[in-house]
Amino acid sequence: MFIDMHVYPAFFEPINEDPAREEMRHNALNIHRNGTAPLEHIFNQMRCAGLDKLCLMPADYTSTLGCAVVENEEIRRLVDLAPDKFIGFASVDPMAPGALEKLEHAFTDLGLKGLKLHPGRQHFYPDDERLEPFYQLCEKYNKPVMFHAGLSWEPDTQTEYGHPLRFERVAEKHPRLRICLAQFGWPWVRETAMLMVKYENVYADTGALYFDCAKEFFVQTFTRDVPLTWIDRSLRHQVMFASSNPRFEQIRMAQAIGELGLRDSTLDLIRGQNAIDFLGGLD
Amino acid sequence: MFVKPITILTKTYNEMDLLTRQVEQIVAESGVKNGMVTVLTKHTTTGVTVNESLECLESDIEVFLSRMAPEDFPYSHARMLKDYGSTAGNPTGHLKAYITGNHCHFPIIDGEMVRGGAQDIYFCEFDGPAKRTVLVIVEGE
Repeated sequence: MFIDMHVYPAFFEPINEDPAREEMRHNALNIHRNGTAPLEHIFNQMRCAGLDKLCLMPADYTSTLGCAVVENEEIRRLVDLAPDKFIGFASVDPMAPGALEKLEHAFTDLGLKGLKLHPGRQHFYPDDERLEPFYQLCEKYNKPVMFHAGLSWEPDTQTEYGHPLRFERVAEKHPRLRICLAQFGWPWVRETAMLMVKYENVYADTGALYFDCAKEFFVQTFTRDVPLTWIDRSLRHQVMFASSNPRFEQIRMAQAIGELGLRDSTLDLIRGQNAIDFLGGLD
Repeated sequence: MFVKPITILTKTYNEMDLLTRQVEQIVAESGVKNGMVTVLTKHTTTGVTVNESLECLESDIEVFLSRMAPEDFPYSHARMLKDYGSTAGNPTGHLKAYITGNHCHFPIIDGEMVRGGAQDIYFCEFDGPAKRTVLVIVEGE
């Protein structure tokens, strides 16, 4: 089983009937010149990368942008088009009115598998008390939280909101809540590793590629910035493969993770089993 | 001028797809009796080339281009591109496209596209899978 835990479906063709909405998405995500992708292309890309499933992330920026870039209902529609290939997350803007009810609706009625939050774009610190009801709701329904952490290439983002150190209180206060720092919290990958070795409920994904090619960036990040032995020995149950596609290159990143020199058993965990554990199963 | 696009959903990283029949159909559809047809890819990591349609040659061309532009090389085109908001990771596609070129021409005489007996038109994908567009441009009278 090989799962990409962080994919933005904003440009999937079935949810882009409206050109104005597609244009909004290009600007809101700062991803350009990529066009829209028919599902057949997505499946071709998955096959070339060796991927079995994609975890689709919506983005609700109501309080800062005035709308959701991708709605939870659109995620549900996509999952229904390929339930064997897609896993759907929910997004709410914690600073927007009615967000808690919207999240409960996403979990109970839409059947979405977790919550995606973007502190840098939604302008909150993860340890802000106002987030407590959302974490409690995730615990109640046994749903994980995927946080965008570290650098974001999206407009109107402040990186300090997603610094790994701001997640420690959440991890400590909610030991049963599984949380993931996307992009390994890049560039603060050692700080992320510190959290992971201290808290078993903290996961990280690999979805960053801000310099060089996939192979070079992964070698720098996961063998030098963080020694490979840290991952292979101590963090092997908490790292999940992700590409952040279409921001970054899914196929080359999928290949690069396999060339780092990790044990086969560790690779199996990173490619699939850790994601299954994080999600609380695939059902 | 008569222009018609061909949309191709490529399935693999590198592939060669025959376009000859589709181009001939578009020439016939255009109604042009005497003139020129140009086949032009709209992308910079794909090529259009003319060669003999043999499995062995397709393999040799792929191996030759991979030798000219190996995957494992410290290319400069490997960085965040602000215009795209994403990372460039396809230098080999650009270089292979540079080698093959992006178009071909054939004359049209008496309503027929005139080509040599061994000549076929190929669309070449060098950064797939992807959704691609090739323009067939027919000029004449």
